[in-house]
Amino acid sequence: MTPEFLKTSRRAFLGGSAAAAALSALSDAALAQQQELPPLEEYESVFLTPGEWAFVMAATARIIPSDGDGPGAQETRVPVFIDHQLAGDFGAASDLYMEEPFAPEADANLGPQSPLAPAGIYREGIAAFDEWCRAEQGAAFSELETDAQDAALQALADDEVGLRPELREFWTLLLQNTKEGYFADPRHGGNAGMQAWVYIGFPGARANFHEWAGRDEAYPLGPVDIAGERA
Amino acid sequence: MARTDPKKDVVIVGLGWTGAIMGIELAQEGLDILALERGPDRATVPDFKYPNVIDELEYGIRFGFMQKPKNSTITVRRTDDEVAQPMRRLGSFLPGDGVGGAGIHWNGQTWRPMENEYRLRSYVEEEFGADAIPEDMTIQDWGVTAEELEPYFDRFEYMAGISGQAGNINGEIIEGGNPFEAPRSRDYPLPPLQQTVDAKMFAEAARAMGYHPFPRPAANASEAWTNEYGMQLGPCNFCGFCERYGCLNYSKSSPQTCILDALKRYPNFSYRVNSEVLRVDMAADGQTATGVTYWDEEAQEEVTQPADLVILAAYQLHNVHLMLLSGIGEPYDPQTGEGVTGKNYSYQMTGGTTLFFKDVEFNPFAGAGSVGMSIDDFAINQIDFGAEGFIGGSYITAGNTNGQPIRGIALPEGTPEWGAGWKQGIGEWYGHSMSIGSHGSCLAYRDCHLDLDPTYTDRHGRPLMRMTFDWKPNDIRMTQFMKGKIEEIAQSMTPDSWQSSFKDEGARYDIRPYQTTHNVGGSIMGTDPNASAVNRYLQAWGQHNVFVLGAGAFPQNIQYNPTGAVGALAYWAARAIREDYLPNPGPLV
Amino acid sequence: MKTFLKIMLGLIVLAAVALVAFIAIPVQRTPAQSEMPADWRPEKGQGEYAMRLADCAACHTAPDGEMFAGGRAIESPLGTIYSSNITPDDETGIGGWSLDAFRAALYDGVRPDGTHLYPAMPYENYRKLTEEDVRALYHYFTDEVEPIRNDTREADLPFPFDQRWTLRGWKWLALDEPGFRADADDPVLARGEYILEGPGHCGACHTPRNAIMAEAAVDASDEAFLTGGEIAGWTAPALRGPGSAIAGWSREDLVAIFSTGRNAHAAVNGEMQLVIRDSTQFMSEDDLAAMSAFLVGLNDGGTAPDRPGDRTGTEALIASADPDMPLGARLYIDNCNACHFADGRGADEVFPELDGNALVTAESPTGLISMILNGSELPSTPKRPYSLRMPGFADRLTDEEAAELASFVRQGWSNDAARVSADDIADLRGDADAKVE
Repeated sequence: MTPEFLKTSRRAFLGGSAAAAALSALSDAALAQQQELPPLEEYESVFLTPGEWAFVMAATARIIPSDGDGPGAQETRVPVFIDHQLAGDFGAASDLYMEEPFAPEADANLGPQSPLAPAGIYREGIAAFDEWCRAEQGAAFSELETDAQDAALQALADDEVGLRPELREFWTLLLQNTKEGYFADPRHGGNAGMQAWVYIGFPGARANFHEWAGRDEAYPLGPVDIAGERA
Repeated sequence: MARTDPKKDVVIVGLGWTGAIMGIELAQEGLDILALERGPDRATVPDFKYPNVIDELEYGIRFGFMQKPKNSTITVRRTDDEVAQPMRRLGSFLPGDGVGGAGIHWNGQTWRPMENEYRLRSYVEEEFGADAIPEDMTIQDWGVTAEELEPYFDRFEYMAGISGQAGNINGEIIEGGNPFEAPRSRDYPLPPLQQTVDAKMFAEAARAMGYHPFPRPAANASEAWTNEYGMQLGPCNFCGFCERYGCLNYSKSSPQTCILDALKRYPNFSYRVNSEVLRVDMAADGQTATGVTYWDEEAQEEVTQPADLVILAAYQLHNVHLMLLSGIGEPYDPQTGEGVTGKNYSYQMTGGTTLFFKDVEFNPFAGAGSVGMSIDDFAINQIDFGAEGFIGGSYITAGNTNGQPIRGIALPEGTPEWGAGWKQGIGEWYGHSMSIGSHGSCLAYRDCHLDLDPTYTDRHGRPLMRMTFDWKPNDIRMTQFMKGKIEEIAQSMTPDSWQSSFKDEGARYDIRPYQTTHNVGGSIMGTDPNASAVNRYLQAWGQHNVFVLGAGAFPQNIQYNPTGAVGALAYWAARAIREDYLPNPGPLV
Repeated sequence: MKTFLKIMLGLIVLAAVALVAFIAIPVQRTPAQSEMPADWRPEKGQGEYAMRLADCAACHTAPDGEMFAGGRAIESPLGTIYSSNITPDDETGIGGWSLDAFRAALYDGVRPDGTHLYPAMPYENYRKLTEEDVRALYHYFTDEVEPIRNDTREADLPFPFDQRWTLRGWKWLALDEPGFRADADDPVLARGEYILEGPGHCGACHTPRNAIMAEAAVDASDEAFLTGGEIAGWTAPALRGPGSAIAGWSREDLVAIFSTGRNAHAAVNGEMQLVIRDSTQFMSEDDLAAMSAFLVGLNDGGTAPDRPGDRTGTEALIASADPDMPLGARLYIDNCNACHFADGRGADEVFPELDGNALVTAESPTGLISMILNGSELPSTPKRPYSLRMPGFADRLTDEEAAELASFVRQGWSNDAARVSADDIADLRGDADAKVE
């Protein structure tokens, strides 16, 4: 007897790289879930003020742009992730040692020494960076052309915008949190529809790859997330 | 508020690997035992259950299973003249907390040190002359030999169900194993794991160059296993969420999978969680401990817990911290070289080369914590220290532990860190790179030590412990030597491109990026009470009823991951307590 | 529907017969089946051991309640019955009961005041207890157990099942001759048979019920004995015959499952976990060996069944990771494969086999569905202390998905059981949260 599940294939399957294959196999459920989420423009932020939200939207869109192969920070809802993180334990530095005295100018190798929790670094960092953008480029970051935004972010990355030592980690956090929001399980608010996983070919919360360890062959199956959604 | 609880025979500080081993060994003696664990209770289900534990952000990035710096941290400086700063966020190393300790979130690489590592100073002096040892290098012998410890390694490896391939059984070299290892009495309990693509490629290249690749010994079960306590492991499924995570599949050896449910059946054993030991209480004459004082989080009060025997089984850093706070052993003074507690803190020298292959599908998500192939052709017992100009050695290895994307996707040199180029890069290169790593020794130096910080305190008002550590030229020369060897192998594999990351001359210790959680020393073992904090049975020299377990006993770091030796030493000390100390309590040496 | 008809039929027969019986026959109490000296005392531990063999604890101890103080709810097809207090408390337990009264409860299901016990008390099986075991139990429950005052609830049964007097008639029809007679001459096999038929009361769950809800057979010589039954909606699998869950199992496999709840094929689930927890893990090596030998004999000496089905096809499908695979297979990969593996073989003593697993292929999918939704935990035993747990997947699966998944494993590898519907899942989901769509 051949069980029913062995008999047919319901969908045509597009060959090619794992990424392309998995992308094409984005399930109806995952797409539906993605479409059900309110547009980013309508998202009501928990932590970020409207001005800060505009910055995070604009900055993450340059850190992981939408054009080219793969989804960008916008499509994957990275700004939502960052807002959630800053509103929660991460933003408040709940797990960190935050006792005085602070020496924010200490050698960087000794680790971050700012008295500000990540939420505070974002708040003051965005303000200081927008101030720098206004002074140098004549407008807040979110209002600049994309080329000017890229240049401003590069200056931030190169520590050339004159941030005080307490804000030294601003760029590191922004870059790290953007990538986190891109790749983290969708339960945290980003990686909508598991698009970032589909793009690179990471199968998510699947657990067993016993048959695939040692096999030099593209893995064809799309990801699953912790909630059990498939893409 | 404070209370005093009824006396126990034994109090164990910390319920990770060593606390669990000592707990069950002493429970078998019928002793009344209390283990105190500062963190929460943890079990495979619900704490590591599938799929919830496969949350890279929560556990891999936000360190859900690790010690919270808010509750416990250290300060760090590189040199004695620098002002130490608190480690406010975890980075370089990740101590665990909670039941199981770091034993839940390790990768499972389970090694035995080389024979000469136990008697490193004697070995160097005999083979290369005392002049080969730099003036500031404070390496010592352990006071115990590979031969003496062999039965205890065997016990640990069979208890933990290690998957591997023996290379030397009672002096007979076994094809496919590590021919340079110390003799072992029998093979590993389980066969090696199946190998990942990168490991197979590395092994093939190494073999072609005349080296001797062998499977990395793994605490990831290749088959179902039942140990001496009746505890069980299921086969590893290569889920790719090993290090930093509790195992969802009962496959990784841990106190949970190997000991705890058996231990909990002993009515004479109990444990309390969320109970952080603040100090070891000492008798008025300082010659014995009377018990411990701990903070009971639930009751919000300090508790005095009297006990006849005190076992320090917390992480290396916390054991040393408790010794410094309690006056166990004379604190080490780097100026005079006198004192013992805090002496010879050491770490691990690692480096690696990343190789990119556009046309190879590595499927990095199909990984296990200890899968991989290694060579020991440049081990510490294979190198002519005189000719090479350094003391030390390293194993060289490749194996795919995980493909978690936030933790990093290797990209060829020149790829931007952000923007369109980065996004293009991750799409092109995820799953198309592998790395060959060097995992090497890190020796002991006069000024690398642990003491109490003069400024910063913890939530209980105790001074934080202060770490003084920096990389030293000897170990950098070692890692540069390994770089040369690894790059030769890498080039022979003709990747599309490759790039290396090894410490260069002048490299300074950086606590931000993760390196290894292989902190050792500070409560070092030895044969001389003036040069070591504990004797060869891990018994405090000055307080015979205090035993200090863990990697703090290593007088300098070995070229291997420490857990194998930590486990063997725990069984070694347990035997000494059961057979020698209990019948006749007093100094064992 | 079938069950309903059975109940109706049983009800009519029962009511009619009971009426006649009640009028015509005086109450009888079965006497001792063998002579024993009046001053006989059990050896140390013998009473407790007899209690373990008869597994009194499982039913007569409420969850989180005092040992033997009763109050455990026992779901029957007719309603809920609450177990009684069998500690020697004078007011609420069995304090002051004579040996004859105690024996009558075990053999005849009658209390000293003549009240009839519901057959949730397995007196159909306990009628086979030796006098020595009766005496050992009596000693244990009168002299060794501490009295505990605990009033237990009356059963919640609808009319006419709440009329205990009707049970007299039922017993007249249902009860066999008292006493145990071995089928085999071999003393080991005879011992095994005695435990299985008598104190172990295995047939209470593992033997089908007849038209009047009595065990269809209480003696292994009858081929209906241990051919499978039902307990709390879960299938208690057949232990002999064509659908035997233990066909092909060795004596060692059986000893392992009795002493540890797990072996190379299976892990116990549902009510059987309580049997391991409270009874079989305490049995002597000799008794375990005897039971196992007898069960192997019931299965024609233990030849593995020849199951048809596309075992390698299922394995290849899962290993392929083909995005076009049907939903059930995909759900298996995303939920079950972590532990049970592509070949459905799991791992010896740790992850149960799904291929050929009696719970998976049971006619009623209740047990399988419960397992998928709620998970399970093995009891800790001295030989295998690890309380291995399977997490539940209720919140990761919709009803439709759980049905596809259950159907997949019921038809995967060499399995060949009927599909499961989303309604089946919804009926059993209870309070468990569903996956949010």
